[in-house]
Amino acid sequence: MTTIQPPRFAVLQLSGCAGCEVSLLNAGEWIDRFDLAFMPLVTSAYDVPEVDILLISGGVRSDEDLHNLRQAVKRAKKIVAVGTCAISGGVTNLGNRDEVRQLFLSQSERHNLPRMLPKSQPVDVFVDVDLYLPGCPPTPELFMAALLEPPDFKASANVCQECGRQKLMDVKPTHLVGMAGGQVAPDICLINQGYLCVGSSTRGGCRALCTRPGHPCVGCRGPSNALIEKDSSTWLESIQRVFKSMTNIPPEELREALLSPQMALFLFQFSDYAGGDRPARSKDKVL
Amino acid sequence: MTTLTFPLSRIEGHARVEIEVQDGRVISTRFQAMEKRGFNLMVTGVPADQMPVIVPRICGVCSTAHHVASVKALENAYGIQPPPLANQIRELLLLGQLIQNQATSLFIFTMPDRLGVESLFHVDAEEAKKETQFDIARRALMVRQLGTDLITLAGGQFIHPVKAVVGGVSSGIDPGRAAAFQQRLQAALPTACELVDYYWEISTRMKDRIGTWGDDQPAYYIASTERDDPRYNSSIIRVMTPAGECCREFTADTFREELIFEDTDYSYAGRTSYQGGVIRANSLARANMTRRMGIRRADAYMRRLRSEFGHPAHPILLFDLCRGIELVYAIELASQLLEEDFTKGEVDMPYNPRDGEGWGLVEAPRGPLIHHYVIEKGKIAMGEFIIPTVHNMLAIERALRVAAERYITTDSVNLELEKAVGRVVRAFDPCIACATH
Ligand code: SF4
Ligand code: SF4
Repeated sequence: MTTIQPPRFAVLQLSGCAGCEVSLLNAGEWIDRFDLAFMPLVTSAYDVPEVDILLISGGVRSDEDLHNLRQAVKRAKKIVAVGTCAISGGVTNLGNRDEVRQLFLSQSERHNLPRMLPKSQPVDVFVDVDLYLPGCPPTPELFMAALLEPPDFKASANVCQECGRQKLMDVKPTHLVGMAGGQVAPDICLINQGYLCVGSSTRGGCRALCTRPGHPCVGCRGPSNALIEKDSSTWLESIQRVFKSMTNIPPEELREALLSPQMALFLFQFSDYAGGDRPARSKDKVL
Repeated sequence: MTTLTFPLSRIEGHARVEIEVQDGRVISTRFQAMEKRGFNLMVTGVPADQMPVIVPRICGVCSTAHHVASVKALENAYGIQPPPLANQIRELLLLGQLIQNQATSLFIFTMPDRLGVESLFHVDAEEAKKETQFDIARRALMVRQLGTDLITLAGGQFIHPVKAVVGGVSSGIDPGRAAAFQQRLQAALPTACELVDYYWEISTRMKDRIGTWGDDQPAYYIASTERDDPRYNSSIIRVMTPAGECCREFTADTFREELIFEDTDYSYAGRTSYQGGVIRANSLARANMTRRMGIRRADAYMRRLRSEFGHPAHPILLFDLCRGIELVYAIELASQLLEEDFTKGEVDMPYNPRDGEGWGLVEAPRGPLIHHYVIEKGKIAMGEFIIPTVHNMLAIERALRVAAERYITTDSVNLELEKAVGRVVRAFDPCIACATH
C-alpha cells in the first residue's frame, strides 16, 4: 500500500504582527491534512525547505525581509500572499508618509542588525504571487480555502450580503457619528445609524465579522471583484454613491472620513496600492 | 574573542541571542530584537478615535491588550469612566487574550522543549511518538481556540477586536451565546487541567535531566493585577522587592518617575530597570504578587506552587508553570463571569472628545502595558507604548548569562547551550512585535 504524502506548506513571516499566524493556528484542521514544514512561530527550523505551498505574511520592511523572501520563493511551487501587510503593506503604510519616514529611518540605525529599507513594500513588488488572500487577518475559514485545492468555499460578493442587517430607505442620518454613537441598534444597517461602514464595496468571505456585532467594516478584505481591477477613485465613488442614496451626510464630511488613516490602511490596498503605479491585480488571483 | 549566535524560533517575532566568549569566560549575553515598524511615529496625525482600531495591529498575539489600553488612554484624556457592564466585558476580553496567549506559550512554544521535538506539529517524529504528539496538539489547539472565541464573543473580531469603544463597549453579549459559550468553557476545563498537569510533570522531568529550574537570582517584580483576585483590566502598578515586600504603588501617568528607560545600540527594543535593579514582569511576577486567585481550581495550583517553591519564587522555568495556573484561572473565571447578564445596564456613556493627555493601563499576558497619548486638534500629536516585554530585557540577558556560564568552559561549549538559550528566552515569552512596535 502506498501512502499519499500530505502537501507540505511553509509560512514565512516578514514584518507584520503575527495576527495572520494566530488566525492560521485557529484553523486547526490542517493538522490532519497538511505537513507544516516551516513556521518559525511554532517550529524550530531556520530555513524554508522545498514545499508545495508557501504562505507569506507581513510586508517587506528590512533588507533581511527581502533576503528571506527571495530565498524562500525559490523553494516553493505556489506562492500565497496572506494578509493586508503582505498584499499592500497594511498598517505599516502609515509609516510611508514622508515626514514619518525620514524620522523613522534616522532612528533605525543599528549595528549589526537588519537595515530598514526606505519604505515598507508589499511582497509582489519583489516576487511573483500566485494567490492573494486579503484580510487583517484572513479568517481561519479563508486560510483553509487558500490551502485546499479546489477550495470548498463560497464567498458572497461583498460584506453587506454576509451581514444580514436591514437597509432602511427612510432613515437618513445627516452626519457621521464617529465612534461616539452610543449603543448600536441590532439588525439595522450601520449606515442608517450614521456609521462609516464600507461593507458594500468590500469583498465578502469574512462572514461580516465586525458588522454583525456592531462595528462598521473598515474594508480589511479589500475591494469586491467589481472594483478590484479599477483604480481607487472608482472605489471611492462607489462608496460615495451608497452614502448619497442612503444618507444626507455632506459629501465633504464623507470624503474626509474616507481618506483618514484608518480607512486608507485598508481601502486602497489593491488599486494603486501603496501609493505606487503598479498594475492592478487580476481578480482571478484573489480569494 | 568568539561570538556565538543563536537564532530563535517558537517565540513571537524576530530575535536572536549573541554570546561573546573569551578564553572560556562569558563576556556578554545579548538579546537582540531584529524588527521594527515604528508605531510611535506612525500614529502621529491619526484621528484619536481611530486608535483603538489601528493599534491592535502592533501585535496579533496581544492585540486585545492594545485595543483596551488604547480605549482607556482616550477615556483618561476625555475624563470619563465607562459603566460597570462595559468594564466586565473588557475583563472578559482580556481573559480571552490570557487563555489564547498562555495556551500558545505553554503548548506550542515550550512543550516541544519538554518533549524533545522541533515542533508540536512536525510529522518527522517517530510513528509511535507522533500519535501522542498529535493528540496533545489537537487538545492544545482546542483549548487555545477558546481564547480567540472568547475574544470574538466579547470583542467582535477574533484577532483585532473592535467592541471596546471610548465610553464603554458597542454592544452587550447575547444571553444565548453567552450560555452556550459558558458550557464550552466548562466542558474544556478538565482538558485544560489535564494538559497543565501533564505539562507540570514533564517540566519536572526536564528539570531532573538538566539539573536546574534555571536562573533563580532574586529580582524586583512588577505587575498591575490585584493582590487578591487578580483582575487584568487594571488601574495600579505595583513593584515588589527581591525579598518579597511590596515596595511601591503608582498609576500609569507617573511611570517615568518610577522606571528607568534606555535604548541599546544592538537591539530595536529598549529596556527598563527599577532604580537600576533588574525587574521581571509576566506570569511569575503576578504569581509572586498575588495572595490568591480567588477561584477554586486555580487556587489549588497556586497552593501547589507555593508548597513546592516557596515565596517569593525566583527560578525562571516557574514562569511557564505560572502560565498554566493562569490558563486554568482564565477559563474558570470567564465561565463564572458569563453567568451574569450582559444585556442589563448601560453599555456606554456619552462623552465629549477634548484635547489633552491620557494614559491607559491593562495587565497584558506579559505584564503591565501602558498607552500614552497627547491629543491636539483631535489628532494624536504624540503616542507612546510602554511594552511589558521591555521590562524583562535585563532579566532575560541576566538569565542567559547564568545559562552561558553553566555550559561554557575553557575547553568546550556544551551542546546543551543552544537548548538552554531557547528555554531561557521562552520562559519569559517575549513579544518582539510589541517590544519594538
Ligand atoms: S495583515 Fe493584519 S493580521 Fe496580518 S500581519 Fe498584517 S497587521 Fe497583522
Ligand atoms: S467586516 Fe470588514 S473590516 Fe471586518 S473582517 Fe470583514 S472585511 Fe474586514
